[in-house]
Amino acid sequence: MTNKMAPPPLYSGTVTKYVFIDSPNVNPQTLAIRAYEISKGIMIKETCFGLQVTGKPDEVKELIRELRKVDPAHIFVKDRGFPPGDPRRCRANLGGARPGYYGHEFESRILRYISRGLEETASRTVTVNKFEKTKMDEGKLPLEKLLEIIENEED
Amino acid sequence: MKEQPVRIAQLSCGPEHSGVQKEIYDAAAMVNAEMFFPDVTLADIRRSYDEFGLEARSGDLKLAIARAMALVEGSVEADAVFIATCFRCSEAAIVRNELRRYIHENSDLPVVSYSFTERTTSGTLLTRMEALTTIARRRALLAREKQVGTTLGVDSGSSTTKAVVMQDNEIIGTGWTPTIEVIKSAETAMESAFSEAGLKIGDMEAIGTTGYGRFLVGKNIGADLIQEELTVNSKGAVYLADRQHGEATVIDIGGMDNKAISVQDGIPGTFTMGGICAGASGRFLEMTAKRIGVDITELGAIAMKGNSKEVPMNSYCIVFGTQSLVNALAEGHSKEDVAAAACRSVAEQVFEQQLQEVDIKEPVIMVGGTSLIEGLVKEMGMLLQTDIVVPHHSQYIGSVGSALLSSGFIRGE
Amino acid sequence: MAKVFIYPATSLVLSDLVERWGHEPLGAALAIRERIQTASLDSPPLQMTPEEPKKGLKWAAVEVPAGVRGRMALYGPMIEEADAAIIINDADLAFGCMGCSRTNELVMYLLRKRTDIPLLDIKYPSSEEEGIAFVASIKEFLAALGGGEDA
Repeated sequence: MTNKMAPPPLYSGTVTKYVFIDSPNVNPQTLAIRAYEISKGIMIKETCFGLQVTGKPDEVKELIRELRKVDPAHIFVKDRGFPPGDPRRCRANLGGARPGYYGHEFESRILRYISRGLEETASRTVTVNKFEKTKMDEGKLPLEKLLEIIENEED
Repeated sequence: MKEQPVRIAQLSCGPEHSGVQKEIYDAAAMVNAEMFFPDVTLADIRRSYDEFGLEARSGDLKLAIARAMALVEGSVEADAVFIATCFRCSEAAIVRNELRRYIHENSDLPVVSYSFTERTTSGTLLTRMEALTTIARRRALLAREKQVGTTLGVDSGSSTTKAVVMQDNEIIGTGWTPTIEVIKSAETAMESAFSEAGLKIGDMEAIGTTGYGRFLVGKNIGADLIQEELTVNSKGAVYLADRQHGEATVIDIGGMDNKAISVQDGIPGTFTMGGICAGASGRFLEMTAKRIGVDITELGAIAMKGNSKEVPMNSYCIVFGTQSLVNALAEGHSKEDVAAAACRSVAEQVFEQQLQEVDIKEPVIMVGGTSLIEGLVKEMGMLLQTDIVVPHHSQYIGSVGSALLSSGFIRGE
Repeated sequence: MAKVFIYPATSLVLSDLVERWGHEPLGAALAIRERIQTASLDSPPLQMTPEEPKKGLKWAAVEVPAGVRGRMALYGPMIEEADAAIIINDADLAFGCMGCSRTNELVMYLLRKRTDIPLLDIKYPSSEEEGIAFVASIKEFLAALGGGEDA
């Protein structure tokens, strides 16, 4: 166990990003092909949801900028702490998914709503009235109203 | 050929962020075990949350619930389960206890639960991991109900060293001595046991060791079985109490730590081991005996004559607790009442801090040197509202368990 | 470019939108990356040692569980560093670095207590209509921060 968990090469000074694709028009393979075309030595790993890319921060940033153009409203990017295949976070060693996986699984269900939002806001400015959390005292019956109801009942 | 590692499923919240996960890995590696995290899906997490019905808010606790259900339902296989959550987190304590109970009641997987701080080390976890792997690996050995041939068991404890010679399912020699130098004390205890039995070490067909000094003593005398005290004492307890079948609870209040073990057919199901504070150990009773000027062997009988409720005990700490006793004597309380109060204090502390982590199933068997202190047994019985069983030779429990189990190593057995 | 603390700190959606519109998302990945790229640490998997809960004492008292204090060692410095924050309130299924509710309550509180920075309190969308509102709110919020790079 200890050997298997020993720290891997540190990839010092690199960043790793997840690139999720949730698109009716582009599949992960197509995205991967595009990434290889422009990768310039960036490490690319294909996954079921898209890609993981690892490299110097500026190079990764440039790659992401290009990749997003493939399908702007259906590509989502997120930082990852670990480089791909790190034994400390590898499913084969853990026996189960790393905890972050479930969080992604949860958010991937709402990506279609986000895509819709991105498409809608890309072309025009959408005015939003309010999209906040529900406050604790929201939607409660005011006391005056309650008294009124009671009085009416008594009549 | 090296044995396959025992696969221990980890259900936890917090160890990765407390710097403790490595300690868990290290402890497991020392006993050739492997930690793993049962694989579930997000759909499993949602379903388990609703089905289990415990509405924990923390995501990692929801995940732990789903993983526990996967183990019980059999979609994930494991040899044992380790549940770990942060010390002082009440939300996690509730989940930890309920999962432990749920797995214990619905599967035959051995479970141990632990609440850690950032100071928890692999050393602290080692005996627990060792017990988990023993139960998983040595079920056949633990199923032994009779001692055969001529065997020796040595229990090298933190306060005392005990030795027992057994022959054809009978105890024929015993030895006891305070632990000073581990090997020398073991030799002294063995000499007494051999002399009583009229035998010598060359007559032993198998040897087992247990207790803190088990590795050192075991290596020195060429033991066939070197095993931690949780499984050995459970086995010894049900053997001596003649309760080898069905449920039982074993309580062993030791010199340095206490064990509470929930046993099914002689095999530990869940257990706790603890005792951060000496106020909950046999040491406190030794100090009490010294303070009231009696031998520790007399303390129990004296306590039986007293009323524990007469003396207020404001602290479980061994220092402040002793202070309370001194104050009580100064105020004119009888030594009988003081002795009884000391017994009650230890019993209460074990009850509050440890017995909550195992399910108390009757019969409750008390073993170890402290089980000879009648006052302590009485107070524990009152707290648990049951008649506690103290088997014969209960102070030799580890040695008897070792002698019994080691007979499985006799050639041809 | 503003540093925007994202809550949940593991959120894909927030990390994406903040970066998409030219700002820097401050989330769990950054704090973890910093640790696993530090040589000489040997505390797998996250390279969080028992020193981290001690660092966490700056944000939570000693009677607070080690797991909370350890996580605060990840988030505390980023909360202090942030120029803005976005909180998704109903993040009930978040795990790992976001797997402890007590930590999460404290993180949200400390963000709200930073009255010197703009904060957007929002919830997860559950329809296309809400998706539009969600994205538009964030876009508007980020635009108001100014200085966003064209990603």
